[in-house]
Amino acid sequence: MPKQKTPWLRVHKPLSKKRQTFLTILSFLIPILLWCAVSYTPFIWHPDIKLDISANRSDVTTVYTAGDRLSKEYFPTFVDAVRKANADATAGINPNASPRATRRSNQKDLRQIGAVAVKNGWLEHEQTEDDAALYHIWRDLATGTKISKSPQLSEENLTIIKQNWATLSATSPDYKSSSLPETPILKLIPQGTASNPVYLPAPHEVITTGWRDFNASVEEGEITMSARFLQSIKIVFGGFLLSCLIGIPLGIMCGTFDFFSRLFEPFIDFFRYLPAPTFSTLLVAIFLANDAPKIALVFVGTFFQMVLIISKTTRLLDHSLLEAAQTLGAKPTQLLKNVVVPGILPNLYDDLRILLGWAWTWLVIAELIGVKSGLTEFIETQGRYRNFDRVFPIIFMIGFVGFFTDQILAYSKGFFFPWLRVGSSPLERLRQFFGVPSDQNKSKAV
Amino acid sequence: MNSSQLQLPSYLEQSDAVRSRFTELKERESVLTAKNLSKVFTSPQGKKIVALDNVNLEVKRREFLSIIGPSGCGKSTLMRILAGLETVTDGVAQLDGKTIEGPGAERGMVFQGYTLFPWLTVKKNVMFGLKMKGVGGVTAEQEALQWIELVGLSKFAESYPHQLSGGMKQRVAIARALATKPRVLFMDEPFGALDAQTRAQMQHYLLQIWKNVDVTIVFITHDLDEAVYLSDRILVLEANPGKVQEHIEVPVPRPRTPEQFLHPAFLATKNHIEHLIHPPAEDLYDDLPMLKMTKLGDEVE
Ligand SMILES: Nc1ncnc2c1ncn2[C@@H]1O[C@H](COP(=O)(O)OP(=O)(O)OP(=O)(O)O)[C@@H](O)[C@H]1O
Ligand SMILES: [Mg+2]
Repeated sequence: MPKQKTPWLRVHKPLSKKRQTFLTILSFLIPILLWCAVSYTPFIWHPDIKLDISANRSDVTTVYTAGDRLSKEYFPTFVDAVRKANADATAGINPNASPRATRRSNQKDLRQIGAVAVKNGWLEHEQTEDDAALYHIWRDLATGTKISKSPQLSEENLTIIKQNWATLSATSPDYKSSSLPETPILKLIPQGTASNPVYLPAPHEVITTGWRDFNASVEEGEITMSARFLQSIKIVFGGFLLSCLIGIPLGIMCGTFDFFSRLFEPFIDFFRYLPAPTFSTLLVAIFLANDAPKIALVFVGTFFQMVLIISKTTRLLDHSLLEAAQTLGAKPTQLLKNVVVPGILPNLYDDLRILLGWAWTWLVIAELIGVKSGLTEFIETQGRYRNFDRVFPIIFMIGFVGFFTDQILAYSKGFFFPWLRVGSSPLERLRQFFGVPSDQNKSKAV
Repeated sequence: MNSSQLQLPSYLEQSDAVRSRFTELKERESVLTAKNLSKVFTSPQGKKIVALDNVNLEVKRREFLSIIGPSGCGKSTLMRILAGLETVTDGVAQLDGKTIEGPGAERGMVFQGYTLFPWLTVKKNVMFGLKMKGVGGVTAEQEALQWIELVGLSKFAESYPHQLSGGMKQRVAIARALATKPRVLFMDEPFGALDAQTRAQMQHYLLQIWKNVDVTIVFITHDLDEAVYLSDRILVLEANPGKVQEHIEVPVPRPRTPEQFLHPAFLATKNHIEHLIHPPAEDLYDDLPMLKMTKLGDEVE
């Protein structure tokens, strides 16, 4: 018999386990591939030029150093301006007011080669202002002893280097601050590669900087990334557990007894509309410094929702189970302990998973109040310096931690509640997808 | 109606054995009594629905009483009042002479829907009532296992309800209700969702249990065969408002067997109830005002 093909799109029909897993993987793969495509295909987007050689323009105050980005439209005007300045210099026109100014300008132009030297590994990052070392780089490039592989210098720039070295070596073979020529040397023409804006670093940049930031040994008094991470975790779970401690019993009481529902829920319903961040200054005033006001903010953000959600879940408990228990002689307190609590537990568990997600959302705001702290402080600072390649790893990490906590909780649901016929977890699906036998296939009773 | 063409005795005719059984039964003490029971529901819009109107009832110890009547006549309401799950608007309901004021273990109940606790195994479900009473672990467990054996589910003592079939679930529910040794067992259409074969089996089980356990049973059903087969007496209710139409003493001798479904007394009783609940009405089988929508010559009847 020919194997019948089931279509992929069927209304309200689940796909086969294999297809589900395939799509799950794909749902992560698509954004990653898109990101890679945008990052690594030069003709897709790439609206900027990232400079390898800095753009020095004496007529404009803005200076773009190597690593900066210019828009593609703006870049040619910059190149032209530098060429014009060079032409002027060759023609003997000196824009500088005094010989001293010329020397200073020449020193600046000499340092243009620094970024190239660092990128080729000839100099350390700290040496970019070591003029004596830079002087020799000029010499080596001009004589061809050193050849820059990345970035590859343009013919135009190589000629400039040779001309400049001729001028420089005529004065002195070694660097002496007093012996720089008093006529302007030529400026290197800005060079760069097409790149995406600074807010979209490429995947490998994010991974490498992320790796570096996490393993970086920090100076005395500074905070390691793992310490920041632990601090953030402490705030999320501190606020969340505190909220659970009061919110779960209160929610269950409200859902079980109309008395508590009428007494508490109207106010809680009102209070949850007050945005939690508006309490930040108040919380700092009450709880002072350190983590206390931050934990309190996560608490305020989750607690009120928690009570309402749990009371609703409690109310959804099948009424006939309560009646059945009553005809078996259960008294109100026994009902609460033996029917209500175990009856709502699986749904409560799911509620808490959602609420834990809320707690993570409040974390970012919580860490910004009072003294900034934790992962958010790092994101804030680096974002301010536009070091987005350092920001993304942290954002992703928060995402991963939240996602995996939730997946683990979803996975362990079947373990906590063996009476539920829980659908197979993503891990189980992965196992099936790759044909790994599982120990979960318990025999089902007839 | 075919059965009326047969020469059936009157359902009021009782053989000597049956008559003496009823005399003996009437001498027993009353377990449940309802006097002038009325129940009025008020809908959220303020409309009043009279579910029960002046219902009187007396159930003797170890009697098997069925309640039958058209849908919406108040059968469940009456049972829930007797079980203490619903309050009365007027009148009194009593158990052993004491006014019923709320649910309790002395009045067990088996519901139509499956109300086993899904988070407990079969054994723990049956132990539930005992635990509420404060009966200790090992004793409760042993008693529970005995009840589970009685309903024939020993192999499933450690299974969860979702692993059982509908009939098995109802057997567990019966065992659970009986484990607290109630005076009365209320059953509201307990076998309604089961197929004919399972249902017959369950009826057989129930009669056996009732024979061996000191319990009075009040049983709601829509199935006339079931009512006649199981009961000593049948309470027929009429709808709008729910009122007692008739108390019927079933003239079929005991012990009951499935062969008795063709017993003349059985058929007579069934026939009578049928007439009570569905009075013969001419317009019931009127032709529908329909246009012919099929091709000519494409007749099915
Ligand atoms: N909680 C309630 N609120 C309002 N009306 C109710 C309520 N419970 C029952 N009723 C009404 O009381 C009447 C009797 O209901 P009941 O459930 O007792 O009928 P029933 O005989 O058990 O019907 P069925 O055979 O369909 O189960 C119905 O008209 C119903 O609408
Ligand atoms: Mg009913």
